[in-house]
Amino acid sequence: MDPGYYSDPPLLVLASLASGPKHGHAMIEDIEQLCGTRLGPGALYGAIARLEQQGWIRPLPAEERRHPYRITGDGLKVLRAKLTRLNEFSKAGLKRLEAR
Amino acid sequence: MNRRFAHLLTRMYPRRWRARYGEEFEDLLETGRGDVKTWMDVVRGAVGEHIHPTHIDPTQGGMMSEVRTTSFGTVVRQPSALVPLMLALTALAVVMIHIAVYGAAHEVDEGPTAHIWQLLMVAQLPALLVFGIRWLPKAPKQAMGVLAVLVAASLAAVAPVFIFHL
Repeated sequence: MDPGYYSDPPLLVLASLASGPKHGHAMIEDIEQLCGTRLGPGALYGAIARLEQQGWIRPLPAEERRHPYRITGDGLKVLRAKLTRLNEFSKAGLKRLEAR
Repeated sequence: MNRRFAHLLTRMYPRRWRARYGEEFEDLLETGRGDVKTWMDVVRGAVGEHIHPTHIDPTQGGMMSEVRTTSFGTVVRQPSALVPLMLALTALAVVMIHIAVYGAAHEVDEGPTAHIWQLLMVAQLPALLVFGIRWLPKAPKQAMGVLAVLVAASLAAVAPVFIFHL
């Protein structure tokens, strides 16, 4: 059975940058390895633009035409909070399944 | 993906967005997959950016920003600047044509030309206000320059009326 894929581009970008700065192409590859979701360029840059606007990621100096991004302290806090919430949801959902 | 096609897809995004992310986005498109799914994703992203534009922070990353790339020419070509300018120039033209056809004699009763001129002059006020509200916070220096041009155009439209006591 296909378990589907998880699609919350901002969360996926934050999770990818948690292991270190990356540019767009590296993020797409990393996210695919992380959870099987391959983000399109539009979805990726939509997330990057909004995360940068919120101050949760920052651009680093350009490498030719590519700009790597790094996660900020606030971004790490948000990522932790979101993943914790997801973890709680996941645990609660699995508990209900076990009770059946 | 084909370089030209990547450029065309990137062009679907708003200019402000392209000034900030365009180059790296185009690079990503060129090196990535060129399938229909990718095109649809980019189109969806561009439409989303037009509907809910991202606030671009000009202080970040040393990249191009709207504030840095906004020139006097860019601001003066905005519809909010062109409208009052055209109104002022039309008012000036109306007066000059009136003088050329009927002479510079003072009329006791205001004719249709006078009413048209008055309407054109009054219409400039809200247009100037809209321009000021829209552009002074974004590009104060350039907007002040454009406002000076607009005020000068308005004065030019008023000048013949006072000079010839029309």
